[in-house]
Amino acid sequence: MNDKELLPWLEKATLGDESAFQLVYEATHQDVYRTVAFLVYNKQDIEDIVNEVYMRMWRSFDKYDPNRPFRFWLHGITIRLVQDWKRKAWRRIRLFERNRQMACEQFDLTDKAVLQSEMQHELFSLVRQLSYKLRVVVILRYFHDYALEEIADILQIPVGTVKSRHHLALKELRKRYETTGGDAYVH
Amino acid sequence: MSIDKELREELRQVADSMECPPDLYGRARRSYQHYVNEKRGRSPMKKRVLACIAAVAILIPSAVFASSFLADDIFGPSEKLEQHGVSQEEYQEIEGMLQAAKGKLTEDEFKEYMELTKQLVQLKLKMTDKNGVRYEEKLTKEEQQQWAQLTSKLAPYFEKITGTAKP
Repeated sequence: MNDKELLPWLEKATLGDESAFQLVYEATHQDVYRTVAFLVYNKQDIEDIVNEVYMRMWRSFDKYDPNRPFRFWLHGITIRLVQDWKRKAWRRIRLFERNRQMACEQFDLTDKAVLQSEMQHELFSLVRQLSYKLRVVVILRYFHDYALEEIADILQIPVGTVKSRHHLALKELRKRYETTGGDAYVH
Repeated sequence: MSIDKELREELRQVADSMECPPDLYGRARRSYQHYVNEKRGRSPMKKRVLACIAAVAILIPSAVFASSFLADDIFGPSEKLEQHGVSQEEYQEIEGMLQAAKGKLTEDEFKEYMELTKQLVQLKLKMTDKNGVRYEEKLTKEEQQQWAQLTSKLAPYFEKITGTAKP
């Protein structure tokens, strides 16, 4: 389903039509989930944020400008919530408890599928090691195919900053990729 | 292969292997329902007040008399009530509510509250048959309007009575 077809459903959903909600969720949840999971690594946090993205979607639909692509708006919400999450105090409150958990069940905290992917996809595992600021640019550029100007818009930072982060990220990736010879698991 | 292409390819492959957990749907749905309720302005408190009004409306066509009761003021002669299918227990419950109201409201408020309730009961009796079943169509249009006005005027009082009872 493309953006244009989705919009009337989204509007119905904001008015309280539950079947419309279902449809919108079905059409968007994988995309939202994957975007968040590329940026945040704790399973519980990912789910919290995805849930929050949908709440925000209903609440701020009246601010959506129909002249812009729906996915662009959706990704804007998603990224903003990920960044909110990084700042928020509630996360720090839970930190203590989490650290305790992490000590004993480290593998439950990260999606097993992601771990496996890291083993098979070396470049991806390098992306995961990048700092958040560089990583978010890489994900928006190479997973969502946004132009650098659009990324600047989503992240609400100057284009120049996006360019330099993009450049730095690729440089970093190339450097590490080459030191491992492009295939770390041969050694 | 250039690093750009490879990045695209790998991210796509990895994304395909990441599945959104199915139980997240239930959670998003609950949040959605919460949003819908909020939007319709039916907060839990409002619901409680409405339930309270409904409860009074259902209880009212049922009472037997004892002259010292506040409820006597409202219901009039007991014969009239018996025609509407009334039990002693139900009557006691209403009396309890009125006593609570007397305690919680100021004198003036209570006076008005009683007056409004009286009017409400008159309408209520009119539309209820001897088995305690409601027929809204028995009321005229004006009376139906009056009914709506009375319930909305009474709402703040119920809020006060139930609100302070359960802080």
